[in-house]
Amino acid sequence: MLNATQIRRVIEERTERRQGTGKKVVDVREEMDRLEEQGELIVHRVRAENRPVEMKTLFGWTKRIPTDRLWHHKSCGQCGNIPGYPSSLLWVMNETGREYLNEPHQTSCTAWNYHGTATSNPVALAAVAARNFHRAYETHHFPLIHCGTSFGDYKEMRKLLVENTEVRHKVREILRSMDRELVLPEEIVHYSEWVQAMAPEIVARQKVDASGVVATVHEPCHYYKMVPEDAVYDDAVYGGQRPAVPTGILLALGAKVADYSTWYDCCGFGFRHILSEREFSRSFANLRKIRPMVEEAHSDVAITSDTGCVTTLDKSQWIGRAHGQPYLLPVLSDIQFAALTMGAHPYKIAQLHWHAAPVDRLLDRLGIDWRSAKAEFLEYLQQLKSGAAPEVLHAPREEIERFFAINKGQVLPEEIREKPSTPVSPTLVEGRGPR
Amino acid sequence: MSVVAHLPRRTLSLTEEEADSPPAMHLTGRQRMTDADRSLSEEIYREFRGDHRHHDFVLGCLNCGECTTGCPAARFYDFSPREMLQIAQNGDATTLWDAMQEKIWACCQCYTCNMRCRFGNDIAGIISVMRELSVRHGIEATRRTLAPFNRSLTLLMTVGTQVSSDMIQPDFFRDWGPFATGSDKSWGVTPAIMRKAIPIDVLQTTTSSWEVSVQTSLELFRIYEETGVLDMLRGLDPDLTDMLIDIIEERREEFTEARERYRADLDRMQGPVATFSG
Repeated sequence: MLNATQIRRVIEERTERRQGTGKKVVDVREEMDRLEEQGELIVHRVRAENRPVEMKTLFGWTKRIPTDRLWHHKSCGQCGNIPGYPSSLLWVMNETGREYLNEPHQTSCTAWNYHGTATSNPVALAAVAARNFHRAYETHHFPLIHCGTSFGDYKEMRKLLVENTEVRHKVREILRSMDRELVLPEEIVHYSEWVQAMAPEIVARQKVDASGVVATVHEPCHYYKMVPEDAVYDDAVYGGQRPAVPTGILLALGAKVADYSTWYDCCGFGFRHILSEREFSRSFANLRKIRPMVEEAHSDVAITSDTGCVTTLDKSQWIGRAHGQPYLLPVLSDIQFAALTMGAHPYKIAQLHWHAAPVDRLLDRLGIDWRSAKAEFLEYLQQLKSGAAPEVLHAPREEIERFFAINKGQVLPEEIREKPSTPVSPTLVEGRGPR
Repeated sequence: MSVVAHLPRRTLSLTEEEADSPPAMHLTGRQRMTDADRSLSEEIYREFRGDHRHHDFVLGCLNCGECTTGCPAARFYDFSPREMLQIAQNGDATTLWDAMQEKIWACCQCYTCNMRCRFGNDIAGIISVMRELSVRHGIEATRRTLAPFNRSLTLLMTVGTQVSSDMIQPDFFRDWGPFATGSDKSWGVTPAIMRKAIPIDVLQTTTSSWEVSVQTSLELFRIYEETGVLDMLRGLDPDLTDMLIDIIEERREEFTEARERYRADLDRMQGPVATFSG
């Protein structure tokens, strides 16, 4: 047993170590600039053609959110399991006249697997991130990250590639073997930040009154608990005490956002648990999230902005009836909700039939005629069954793209390396944000 | 053997002294480590302490318990991020080995502990380091824990996405109810048609999250080869690893054939598409 002096000494040593590790939060973007000057990497800048909107992060740093000419970094969980998530996003981009590239030359971040099974390592994760970053760069489009875990992972990998010379050199060597270069985006951008930046344009196209809806928000852990300094905050949303997304778009659309006691808890996804230990996931989701959302906040819908959260909160509820928890609270992503208020088809675009908790009551509350939409969708399915060509949101890929990541003339001009341009849009803090 | 500060000394593995003279009462599941396990645990411990992330992630701990208070896994499992951090900081080969048998897999990787830790420890990160080591060394308990992941690992390694709609089989996901797959019988069409009804061409598949080009999947596999991920996986499941290599070999052949077919188009292009050989 240690005596008091020894205990004091242990604490002093730990405190000294803590102060001496140099682990203070620094703006990694400044170091990226320095490394670019040394020829260590290329910074993929947000340019004028990306029509950036400025926002503020946790420490008040400016983050430039590109709103145009975007490269969709899709989410494996969304595309596999809740496809209305990406289709709503692409649909809103079409409606607001944004240019984008959605192609088969992207891998997932592979971080779901890493956090679930650890069958990877930081060098591999960093190389996967860098390969996707370079692909976006060579197509001259700025990466927009759909998944919260990809967003968190890419922030971590960007820091790792900047701070760890050994990892950086190893990754650069791998990329060179593919004729690719080490490119890091000036900003790692989550799609919900794009939604927030586009709030005025979305509201301008709003067709459905959302004021009768009480929403509760689940803040995805990997959006703001991984590399917290890069999440977006706004004084107009929770007084700047919680992230501005996805709550901001709900307020902008006129929905009521209700608070609940367990807002800080995770959803119960667990990466590994949602597949092989769902007893945990569903217990946590129902007891710690859905129940307070319903019983404390009396909400009509839970809104979140990440793949795993929509999946866990939505799909865990059905079995709750066996345990006296018959809540069946609809769970949507912010972009699905926004698309619905803009008049998106509930089935063809928002693809609500992939959700386990029924959405009928929510659609009734929004005044959306889902019965007619459902009949129309059923007819469309029969047309597809008869061999009709599917309706699509953008031109399909070319046949050669099944094999090759072709460049379609997108090889970058040298001017991409120019310094960042001045934002063309007013900032959130100047009043652009939701009120 | 050092003692983890402020925690009861209750390792699952019997110490050598205890094994020679067993205590009157054991915790359930306690057993003597084999010599091979003991030797492996010491090797793992050395690697763990030598990993640069140990120095970066473990900064100190005053046992305040903030991490565990917010931990979702701590509510349902015999698991505590505080205990994991204490083991990382003050534990020895035996306590680390014991944590690797089961506890490390309870963590949800939500990073709530990191956000709450006033020392700035990366607790979720150090647990990942423990997990990596348990995979790389093919610990039996880890093999059992990750056995259900063969299908998702196959997808991940060969096309770089983790979920496909045909993985969400109603028989396996009964607790999600009849409407979870978007293709229940009430729609009157097959799952393939339901996928066709998604208005994005690359999503109109049932076997992957989206269709990934062959070049992209081969580039990804090169990353796995170059970064030791394949070797890690071999430690976990050699048969699965061999199967993945076979799949990728087929894709390489497919790629080579396609390169011949599209030679004229590719000759006009620059960059990775022109030079990547598979």
